[in-house]
Amino acid sequence: MDRRRYLQSIGTVGVAATAGCLGTVPGLGTGRTVLEEPEIDLSAASHPSHGDDVPDVTLPDPLLGEEVSTTQFEGERAFLMTFIYTNCPDGMCPALTLRLRRAQAVAAEEGYSDESAFLATTFDPERDTADVLREFGVQQGVDLDAGNWHFLRPESYEAGQDLMEEEFGLVIEKAPADNYEDLEYAFPHYNLILLVNKQGVVERAYPNGATVDVERVVEDFETVVTA
Amino acid sequence: MRRRELLAGVGSAAALGAGGAVALGVFPSVETDPSGDGGSDQRGQPDPIAVETIDAPGSEAGEVRIPGAEPTFIDFFGTWCPPCIEQMPALAAANERVGDDVLFISVTTENVGGSVTKAEVVEWWETHGGNWTLGIDPTAELAARYAPPGYPAAFAIEPSGAVAWSDAGVKTADELVAGIEQATE
Repeated sequence: MDRRRYLQSIGTVGVAATAGCLGTVPGLGTGRTVLEEPEIDLSAASHPSHGDDVPDVTLPDPLLGEEVSTTQFEGERAFLMTFIYTNCPDGMCPALTLRLRRAQAVAAEEGYSDESAFLATTFDPERDTADVLREFGVQQGVDLDAGNWHFLRPESYEAGQDLMEEEFGLVIEKAPADNYEDLEYAFPHYNLILLVNKQGVVERAYPNGATVDVERVVEDFETVVTA
Repeated sequence: MRRRELLAGVGSAAALGAGGAVALGVFPSVETDPSGDGGSDQRGQPDPIAVETIDAPGSEAGEVRIPGAEPTFIDFFGTWCPPCIEQMPALAAANERVGDDVLFISVTTENVGGSVTKAEVVEWWETHGGNWTLGIDPTAELAARYAPPGYPAAFAIEPSGAVAWSDAGVKTADELVAGIEQATE
């Protein structure tokens, strides 16, 4: 059932992407990436995709009490990056987190933890304090002591909003959460996961990151880390 | 001339945006799929996953394989999850009713051994009246395959590996039994 819907949604994106990328030159990323071009060309999407440099951003990791930059891993670690908020009412943020957490567990089993990093950026810093993020991490089964997991938290909602839109092409806006009694506001958002190689180049963008096959993300990541 | 090209480009980008919105729109339906025939388009026969079971009321330390020779019912839970506590009495009643023809198992997807200990899981189990097989999935291998959309989440799985029924949220014993029967018939 998942698969059929998944294919449907891919079909939609595929049509749109074809319309959007006429005139672009395919294959520009050759030599900078481990993975081949994706089956679906996402180069016209607003977010980074195959062959793009990862946006250079620096954000506080409130659990470790340090700043983390997307470029500090160059030459050392490949990473998966996603964007969440812990009040997420529809299960999509736990679903995104599960994919990173599973990749973290496989990295530990296969011995490449020290060549990996996992970045989960909240765009709801007002509610997602350090304590809230830690609790969410524990609930989701993340190994917070592995030294490769970073929850990132912009200084303010506005700072996060600007960063998300300008650097990652993701428009974030508070929306009334009328369907959920216990929530004042929610964020309709893109379920994006980015896979970035050790040279800081995007290998894969999964715009359907909450529903994409977990093992596909894990296998792609392993291929890139161990290349 | 240039201007027209630029505008055409903008139009294409807008089309992409619309495509993205449609894709987003289908996501929630994944977790509320009512068709009950979800297993029909699974790809081939999946390799069984070995799940560690622990010593607790109704449960022995060891290992089970999912899918197994018999239909499997999985309750994904976490000890941090209040609705999972609420779910326990209906699980107990459903377990009584479906009998021995089904592997009936609750599995926590927490990082057991890391953020929580086995002893804490067992204590939770005892407190809330668990008396059937209790499994742990510390590396999320099982969770990765079935991708519970929330907690608790229920999956009824045929011996072939096909998911006959799944649903998230707290359910009644009747709903659980009806779901499990989809995998046994």
